[in-house]
Amino acid sequence: MKFIISSTTLLRGLQKVSGVLGTNNTLPILEDFLFELNEDKLKITASDLETTISVTLTTTKADGPVVIAIPAKMLMEIMKSLPDTPVTFTVDGTNIEIFAGEGKYKLIGHQSDEFPQIPVMDNTTSLELNSALLVNAFNKTLFATGNDELRPVMSGVLFEIKKDNITFVATDAHKLVRYRRNDFKSETETSLIIPKKPLAHLKNVMPEDEDVAVNVEINDTNIKLEFDDIVLICRLIEGKYPNYEAVIPMQNPYKLTIERKSLLNSIKRVSIFGSKSTHQVRFKITGQELLLTAEDLDYSSEAKERLTCSYHGDDIEIGFNSRFMQEMLSTLEPERIILELSAPNRAGIILSEKSDDDPEDVLMLIMPVMLTQ
Amino acid sequence: MNPRTIIHLDLDTFFVSVERLLNSSLIGKPIIIGGTSDRGIVSSCSYEARRFGVHSAMPIRTAKQLCSDAIFIRGDMEEYSKQSRLVTDIISEHAPIYEKASIDEHYIDITGMDRFFGSFRWSKQLRERIIKDTGLPISFGLSTNKTVSKIATGEGKPNGELHIPQQDIKPFLSPLSIRKIPMIGKQSYRLLRSMGVSTIRTLSMIPPEMISQVMGKNGIIAWKKANGIDDTPVVQYSERKSISTERTFDKDTTNIIYLNNLLTSMVEKIAFELRKKQKLTGCVTVKIRYSNFDTHTLQKHLTYTSFDHILIQTATELFNRLYTRRMLIRLIGVRFSSLVGGSQQLDIFEDKPEMIDLYQAMDNMRLRYGNKAVQRAIGIDVNNKGKNI
Repeated sequence: MKFIISSTTLLRGLQKVSGVLGTNNTLPILEDFLFELNEDKLKITASDLETTISVTLTTTKADGPVVIAIPAKMLMEIMKSLPDTPVTFTVDGTNIEIFAGEGKYKLIGHQSDEFPQIPVMDNTTSLELNSALLVNAFNKTLFATGNDELRPVMSGVLFEIKKDNITFVATDAHKLVRYRRNDFKSETETSLIIPKKPLAHLKNVMPEDEDVAVNVEINDTNIKLEFDDIVLICRLIEGKYPNYEAVIPMQNPYKLTIERKSLLNSIKRVSIFGSKSTHQVRFKITGQELLLTAEDLDYSSEAKERLTCSYHGDDIEIGFNSRFMQEMLSTLEPERIILELSAPNRAGIILSEKSDDDPEDVLMLIMPVMLTQ
Repeated sequence: MNPRTIIHLDLDTFFVSVERLLNSSLIGKPIIIGGTSDRGIVSSCSYEARRFGVHSAMPIRTAKQLCSDAIFIRGDMEEYSKQSRLVTDIISEHAPIYEKASIDEHYIDITGMDRFFGSFRWSKQLRERIIKDTGLPISFGLSTNKTVSKIATGEGKPNGELHIPQQDIKPFLSPLSIRKIPMIGKQSYRLLRSMGVSTIRTLSMIPPEMISQVMGKNGIIAWKKANGIDDTPVVQYSERKSISTERTFDKDTTNIIYLNNLLTSMVEKIAFELRKKQKLTGCVTVKIRYSNFDTHTLQKHLTYTSFDHILIQTATELFNRLYTRRMLIRLIGVRFSSLVGGSQQLDIFEDKPEMIDLYQAMDNMRLRYGNKAVQRAIGIDVNNKGKNI
């Protein structure tokens, strides 16, 4: 049993699924790719039990069928170091021989039946999304997800699908992003929490520029996304997502409008001199002037920068984590942003200055640090 | 490395000297300072008392048996700190680089000053200045590194001045007991004695590989010190690495409610300390000592915080996990370490504005009217009862 495939095609395929491979796997078989050859179609699957992803490639010549698990690291490394050349795989039991050019490589695979079964999904609802929208949503939300094992729901992104909009929410309890698209229509309403790891992987493999249709199937425990030659099935995070709408303050009397890039660059510079463990930066707004200060008492370093801004409200002094601020500001695109505030101990809201007919609605919330007066 | 010039200054029987400064009738009498309760230990004693075999860190009860005529004083840490600060002020006025090693010890690096003043003369003048200005007796040792200077001070005491130049280091150290090396405590001393090592000379002649096999890394350091080698620098200022408090009971207890309440009140006290200094902690440690002196500690890392409710919860959890034997406890303590400067990052879902306002209001009251102006009710009870359960 053997097949021939171009090394570049194979490598590209492997890279599309390798992001799912776990680093500390409990099951040794999860360090393998599952190869399934059916006629001339080669399906490669990677799994970490939570997420299973597969890509289907076309071989140039096949003498199948073949089903075998191949050690991922060794295979990836050899494919990366090969030039573009046809590669012949010969499989005999668990012995695998690879011929490429003048080279002959031998390795031992594993029985395919040890590989975890791809979950079968019942009672699914299906809908269609497009890749550009998803990639954009992942870019805007993923950075805000948490790592707290005690609050597992926050380690994922909430998808809230309504009749006439779709909302993506991520939070780590210090910052929160709500990304809503009003140009979305759906027949069903549902909400689900997807872990961040498969989303981060999808962000890299989904085509960003073109609108590729993504077929989605959902049930209570899993989600399946299908696009191009890729199928990804992933277990949903169980649990109740915190009521994020309740924590977004509606009444924010103070409004600061400022150029996004200049604020971002100032924070970048100032924070170099601030504490490396708390990343604290003070915002002092008086009149039409914003004063940024950061200091590190342990090393006696400090920095101050003045920025002009347009501000409506009382003078205020509020502290933020500069890393959070930088993440948020660099994720946003518009030239000017609005920072809404109410009190030094209440959340700040970052919005982009936009026209009303913009279908994109981004809201970022950042909790301040408790400054002593 | 060029030879350095390091002074070690040590206030003689510091606590006793301060007491004598405040009450001149104590001069010339045996004085013992330490907790006056039965369980206390001697924290300082005068030379008159030492003659009876009393030494610091000895249980007060033993000291009483050895020297029943001594005057026992409870001690006033606040006053001692104040006096110590006066000494530090004088040193900082004159010295280029100094390190406050403890309440009564200072190191000064005066490398290079001999070209202008003569190191010994300069040190002598500084010592005289301190004695004149504060009225406290002080000794110093002058040598090329911290260890030798410290040993020299010990040899020069009381009221002494000792200069050990580079070439005299070996002859000076050789005949001394290994006990004199600052890092060698009871355990290492016993170990080395069991190997037949009693003088610094012997220790310095042992091959370092052999020492490191018995004592590990510390062995090498001890060996270097025995050879008069110590290149640790004089560090001007050392940031506080942790904040802690502990309580030894008059009578050992198993009263779990009392212990929990006390722990809460202790955490509350030092958490306020944290916020006052604008610091956050990343690690909480709880310590208990059973009546048989078995000491156990347990620690937990957490995201930087200075909030009472998080720290109290963590400390209580640790205590409940730690206190597993139904045995009497004689000491309980709590420590915050991994300190960083900064303010509390607020949580979107947990930290309600009302709670933050409450924290700030309470802290403002404490800042204005003192630590005990406002506290958790369970803490009032344990504090009023004092040490009596």
